[in-house]
Amino acid sequence: MTRRRLFIGASLSVAVVGVFAMALAGCSAEPRNEQVIRVTRNIGGREGFRKHFEAWKAAFERDNAPWKMELIDLGNMEGAEYYKSRIATGDLPEVIMTWEMSNFLADGGHLVPLPDAYYEKYGIELPAAYKGKRYTSQGGLQIQAIVVNMDMWKDIGVTEPPATWDAYFDAFHKLKEKGHKPLVLGGREWSAAMPMFYAFTSDMYDRVVDPAKPSWTKRRDAGEVSFASDPIARQAIEKMIYLVDNFVDKGALSDGYNEEQRDFYGGQGATWMMGCWMAGDLEPNHVEFEMEYWPVPSMIGRPPVIIQTSGMQSGWAVTTSATGPKLEKAMAVLDAFYDPVVYQELLNGECQFGQASKVPATEPKYDWPPAQHLIRSMVANIEQYGTTPGFHIALDDIPPPAFHTSMARVMQEIMAGNRDVDALLAMLDEEWDSGRKGT
Amino acid sequence: MPSHGRTGARSRRGWSHQRSAVASLVLCGPAVVLYAGFIVLPAALGFGYSFTDWTGWSKRPHFVGLDNFRELVADARFFDAIRFTLFETVLIGLFFTFASMLLAIALDKLSVMKGLIRGLFFYPYILSILVSALLFQYLANYREGAINTLFRAVGLDALAQDWMGDPHLVPYFIFALVAWSGLGFFTTLYLASLQTIPTDLYEAARIDGAGAVSVFRHIQFPMLLPTLTTNSVLALITGINLFPQIVVTTQGGPGYRTFTIGYYIYHLGVLNNRQGYAAAVSFITFAALVVIAGIQVALLRRRQVSL
Repeated sequence: MTRRRLFIGASLSVAVVGVFAMALAGCSAEPRNEQVIRVTRNIGGREGFRKHFEAWKAAFERDNAPWKMELIDLGNMEGAEYYKSRIATGDLPEVIMTWEMSNFLADGGHLVPLPDAYYEKYGIELPAAYKGKRYTSQGGLQIQAIVVNMDMWKDIGVTEPPATWDAYFDAFHKLKEKGHKPLVLGGREWSAAMPMFYAFTSDMYDRVVDPAKPSWTKRRDAGEVSFASDPIARQAIEKMIYLVDNFVDKGALSDGYNEEQRDFYGGQGATWMMGCWMAGDLEPNHVEFEMEYWPVPSMIGRPPVIIQTSGMQSGWAVTTSATGPKLEKAMAVLDAFYDPVVYQELLNGECQFGQASKVPATEPKYDWPPAQHLIRSMVANIEQYGTTPGFHIALDDIPPPAFHTSMARVMQEIMAGNRDVDALLAMLDEEWDSGRKGT
Repeated sequence: MPSHGRTGARSRRGWSHQRSAVASLVLCGPAVVLYAGFIVLPAALGFGYSFTDWTGWSKRPHFVGLDNFRELVADARFFDAIRFTLFETVLIGLFFTFASMLLAIALDKLSVMKGLIRGLFFYPYILSILVSALLFQYLANYREGAINTLFRAVGLDALAQDWMGDPHLVPYFIFALVAWSGLGFFTTLYLASLQTIPTDLYEAARIDGAGAVSVFRHIQFPMLLPTLTTNSVLALITGINLFPQIVVTTQGGPGYRTFTIGYYIYHLGVLNNRQGYAAAVSFITFAALVVIAGIQVALLRRRQVSL
């Protein structure tokens, strides 16, 4: 080998090692210093969410020039993977959207606590503290219950919400006899869990949270109860089996949320167990039939109720990546969230109801008459039947983070033909225990 | 003088060895650094995490000793995932080892449109595995997938199935996806080996009146054995590493029925925030894979020698 070749080889070697070292160094680089606040948001193809973000960005940039607000669109991602990778590289965006991850982020020391004055300023009821601190902006009141195609339900003479699961099943049989598909339910994705989630959350948990009385979640974690030993859980599984056997079509495991939505919006199904956000897509999909939003029935003689899933600390949080002037501007982003125009866009996009009493935006407003009719139905039924947080009590009083997926998997098992109630209950217990070890 | 000459020669040999060592270091150094940085270091860190309860969110994992490995021994879902992975691996291994060999021999005999037909078989391999998986997901949809649409169009409605949802069919659906996307690659390796067989061997066989089966048995198969060894190990790795196909199509479902080891590790580490336990599962899987691959290679080498 000539000296020249050796020199070229050595140079190449140094270059590769140098690039590698720089790449490693870049991984732990300090956050960028530009006058930009990065904010995460799940938008994907949802136009209402995009409109909200654009209004939010405009409000922030109007009041904080020359600072900019940059969108990091997580699409349909839950976000955990993204945040973990950013934690690993020490580069979390300054403001992030969190739902059930606030406790993980707080435990890791990644969030900046918010003062109570922040909530008071906008008339927001203080969310349950996590280890004595509060971290997130609060969105609106998000509800989950049952949307019905009134044309079909009127066809069988039912115009009021059935109070029990059995009454629903009787009505479903009548809908079938009339040639209607009683329920749209797909098994491929998270939405498969909705009926089971409703059954558990309305009947296994107290309707009103009593801080002195441990919830089912707390008792489950303490080993006092389990799915296998709880007669209500068993009853819920039996109801799910009946539901699948009688009202869910073959091939449902191929369908996900999009197919459910398409069937319901297309007038192909009488009932959809889905959260209030579905109303935000009525106008873009030109849904013209009359709909109402009915409460969740009971298996144990309780009155029907609407599930509220937004009481916990869920919303946007400031991360410890925001330091110096960036911290101040990250707080300004959270303030701009409650700008009346921005907040109205949030309520419209998410189809939520206002929870900030000092902000003049109280409910979603749509020009599309069927959507506005559905909103009126939601308001009336929240008034008549009330809401319950179900198992969304507080960040330290909720099931393990992936439990919704666990319920969806058990529903898939039922759709795949598993009729072993004990085995299905055991799956829920196993997943709960495994998931809890990760919290 | 002679002693001086010996010293000079020794000195030249020493300098030569030195230069050779420096050259090795220079030429291999970058690769070693990259391999160490991106493979060895993460693997070592992963091994370290397997003794912790790290969630992936915290900065300081807690040391839990051998707890994760103790839990693993009694983890029924882990063993279910192993069973499913092995089932798929056997199907994939047999298919890529033998079916692709037969296909290669058939393609080797083609006299017309050789390039085009070989290209068609190879084409799926150049697609991203995610694209292939999405394509299969569309094909397999119960209501609108191409397979069931075709059956319904020709009046065979009874054959329309929930290919991804039926627990009896879904293992074969996943196998079909892997087989379709990888067949071209494994076939190409065999085809390349077939080109190295000296033509005079075929000539001699033809003069001796050997038929196709005899040629395969006495010439092609023995000459393809080194490639068979390579393909079988690669197929084993493909089977054990089944992950993106699962993420895109079944996500482990229905229920937990298509959990492969890779998907289970993802389920634990990413979805359940149990990075420490997921690292323990990864380490055990890695160790098992090394042992299996070692046995496989040893057995096949012995077979090669005996042939």
